[in-house]
Amino acid sequence: MSCAALLQAGPLPASRPHMTESARPADPRLVQEMRWGGLLAAAQGGDARAYDTLLREVTPRLRLLARARIRDAAEVEDAVQDALMTIHALRHTYDPERPFGPWMTTIATRRAIDRLRRRGRGAGRESNLDDLPESAASVPAVAEERIAARDLREAVAELPESQRTALRLAKLEDLSLAEASARSGLSIGALKVATHRAMRSLRRRFGVAGKGEDLADR
Amino acid sequence: MQTDELIRRLSQDVAPVRRVTPPMRAALGWLALAAAVIAAGVLISGLRHDLEHRLMLMHEQVNLLAALATGAAAAVAAFHLALPDRSDRWALLPLPFAIFWISGLGWGCIAEFIERGWPALGISFACMRFIIGFGVPLTLGMLWMTRHAARIRPGPVTWLAGLAAAAVASVGLSLVHHLEAAAMVLIWHGGSVLVVMALSRLWGARALRAMAA
Repeated sequence: MSCAALLQAGPLPASRPHMTESARPADPRLVQEMRWGGLLAAAQGGDARAYDTLLREVTPRLRLLARARIRDAAEVEDAVQDALMTIHALRHTYDPERPFGPWMTTIATRRAIDRLRRRGRGAGRESNLDDLPESAASVPAVAEERIAARDLREAVAELPESQRTALRLAKLEDLSLAEASARSGLSIGALKVATHRAMRSLRRRFGVAGKGEDLADR
Repeated sequence: MQTDELIRRLSQDVAPVRRVTPPMRAALGWLALAAAVIAAGVLISGLRHDLEHRLMLMHEQVNLLAALATGAAAAVAAFHLALPDRSDRWALLPLPFAIFWISGLGWGCIAEFIERGWPALGISFACMRFIIGFGVPLTLGMLWMTRHAARIRPGPVTWLAGLAAAAVASVGLSLVHHLEAAAMVLIWHGGSVLVVMALSRLWGARALRAMAA
């Protein structure tokens, strides 16, 4: 898009001293900032449409500036709104003779830094679990699993020898009843009973109700 | 509130605003005000009896000019830093003048020590009263003029305001109060300037926010 097209896209003051015919900036970003400067100059005079256009056009840039410092998406949006309100409160400090970019960038950056500082002071040692590496966040879960595994090993060790053997062959090694019978020297019936009793003991110990447990006991 | 809704509300009834006074003009305005206030204080207190003689001394002239330059540079820097689009490096502007001023006072102490040995040090709360009494209201005056800095650079603007006001008050004090020893000048003038700067740094940001609200 040409400079002229960009400049025609919205209201601008009659003269822009830092842009002359002989020295038109080629950088589209600079052209855009000059357009924003013109919109703000118009807003200083009370032009609500120019102001609305300006705020809508600068919002993505404000979002980028906030994202450069803040990771949390909700916090970024708060920082953008904070920057918009600061632009509103400080709109009388903009000098149309000077570039708009540094004016807006300082406001957005300072508000983001202030937000981070306030959050740092307020939150103290708080950390968002979502922001932590997976290994750090999962430490309690790993510890719980280890405790449960240790309890299970102890419970199995306390079972009678025949039940322990049946459980190992049928459940852990996942052998068929025939294979387990051949390996252990127990009959298939005895294996079934031993496995069933072992599972029932463990379920009772860990407070888990098994299907048809009461019936099997009879 | 959604960002779109916020933009709609902000732009709905945007009132025309008067642009802030350019920083150099604002600094000159504040310096003129400070000079008038200090001059009134000097007239009320009465000029020191040996003023004519002291003003003839080169090192006295240099010290006075250095203090004045420090105050003026700090004022210019504060008004520039209060605007979002100015460089943070403006904060360094009064530094060479302040160093020159303090080192001049320090040099006076050394010369005095070589000539007369340990100077007779004393307490001069009158000096402190003068500098704090004029420095704090002048600081508040500058904070009022730079209250738009509350959301941008409250820290540097407040301590520069304190430095500007205290340095100008120190110039006024030099016309009023007689201190025999250079070490006394360094301790009581320099100490009082630091007290005003510390007060400004402690409560200035809060004052700026309250004024900007």
